[in-house]
Amino acid sequence: MIYFDNAATSWPKPPSVAAAIREQMAGAGGNPGRSGHRLSIAAARVVEETREAVARLFHIDNPSRVAFTTNATHALNVALYGLIRPGDRVVTTSVEHNSVMRPLRHLETTGVCVEVVPCDANGSIDVGRLEDRLASGARLLVATHASNVAGTILPIGEMAAVARRHGARIVVDAAQTAGTMPIHVAALGIDVLAFTGHKGLFGPTGTGGLYVREGLELPPLVRGGTGSDSAHEVQPDFMPDALESGTLNVAGIAGLGAGVRFLIDVGVEAVQAHERALTTRCVEGLRAMEGIAVYGPADPVARCGIVSFSVAGASPSEVGLLLDESFGILARTGLHCAPAAHRTLGTFPTGTVRFGFGWFNTAAEVDAAIDAVRQIASWARTPSNARLRNAQWTA
Amino acid sequence: MDGLISFFASHHAIRAETVLKRHGHAARLVPGPRELSPNCGVALRFEFARRDEVLPLLAIHRVRIDGVHEYRPRTDGWEAAPR
Repeated sequence: MIYFDNAATSWPKPPSVAAAIREQMAGAGGNPGRSGHRLSIAAARVVEETREAVARLFHIDNPSRVAFTTNATHALNVALYGLIRPGDRVVTTSVEHNSVMRPLRHLETTGVCVEVVPCDANGSIDVGRLEDRLASGARLLVATHASNVAGTILPIGEMAAVARRHGARIVVDAAQTAGTMPIHVAALGIDVLAFTGHKGLFGPTGTGGLYVREGLELPPLVRGGTGSDSAHEVQPDFMPDALESGTLNVAGIAGLGAGVRFLIDVGVEAVQAHERALTTRCVEGLRAMEGIAVYGPADPVARCGIVSFSVAGASPSEVGLLLDESFGILARTGLHCAPAAHRTLGTFPTGTVRFGFGWFNTAAEVDAAIDAVRQIASWARTPSNARLRNAQWTA
Repeated sequence: MDGLISFFASHHAIRAETVLKRHGHAARLVPGPRELSPNCGVALRFEFARRDEVLPLLAIHRVRIDGVHEYRPRTDGWEAAPR
């Protein structure tokens, strides 16, 4: 089996991740921050060690500025509902995931003005065009660090500088880039960074979080027990407690910590170089083939470890099924929860086939996938081919 | 350890312990005495005599503290120390 769906969730995880979860459940099973006994302290220590590791990874001086959530979507909802008020103008890009677009479209119904800056057919943004939209009093810019469909990396540092120049804040969706590209929050000028734990950070599903810049007050989306300030019925206003109501997913956070520490040991730069090599190999192999359209930028430096493509004569779901059943290659097909991005690439509503590479993939796996796609493309050129016909549905 | 620091949140208590131990100070998390702070379950024991090194260290690392206390056996309990 070849797993090329790391952009959906990374697999396999480093063995230390499952070990840390087991260890937490067996040995540090108290409720963090709620009691003073040893198991509660042990659980709190697990959470704080992960918080420190995350802070180190993103070069965050003060770990208190990191709050844990259940995933990047949750983190983005906290940021968007916390920072946007009716009457505000918000600017975003046309390659956003629904984790950004759905909250924004909902906020639009409450009197928020949402402006979408179109990206080109490769998913790249024109920063000058973005600046025009920001110049007329936008309160917030929200942008993905890299498209989950085409892999296109957006110039977040430049975009943040432009936003700051016009008095807007920037929220960055790092779902695809946390752990796969170096992120230095202060150097990039990021106000809020939303990350997921289960992709590039190697944690389990159900983990994620957000970084909130020092000095920026982000009101909570959820209020409740925090284990702190217990005499008061009003939510604490200090980080991270302000954004962490209810008992955290301690087992998951234990696993996330092990994943991040693995990543720090290996080095994010090494991960990026490895994924870039695989991506380049894949793009070159697929582009050389007849009947294959590869989306996203030609320059491998301009994309993260994602390759989206389509096969002439076969739908993405047919290709995905054949890759899985005939070749044991696991990819993601369809719209990838990002209809806006597919419209930008010109692949809506059909979608694409997406390979998402990870640290544990090899060049030999990429070569095997290229051979498999070549075979499927040749089947697709024969309209009577039984393999494709079997995969088709009739109305 | 005759000094005790209380916190608003256990997050800061754990961070304080990490920072102090990393800098070679004695530190131990204990259940917070209820009469001192209702804010969170844990407090940190430390050497009160070294408070002039310990408190700036915590400030540099932006660890938020609630109060600093000294244990004086003759008064039967913890007493708030001048900051």
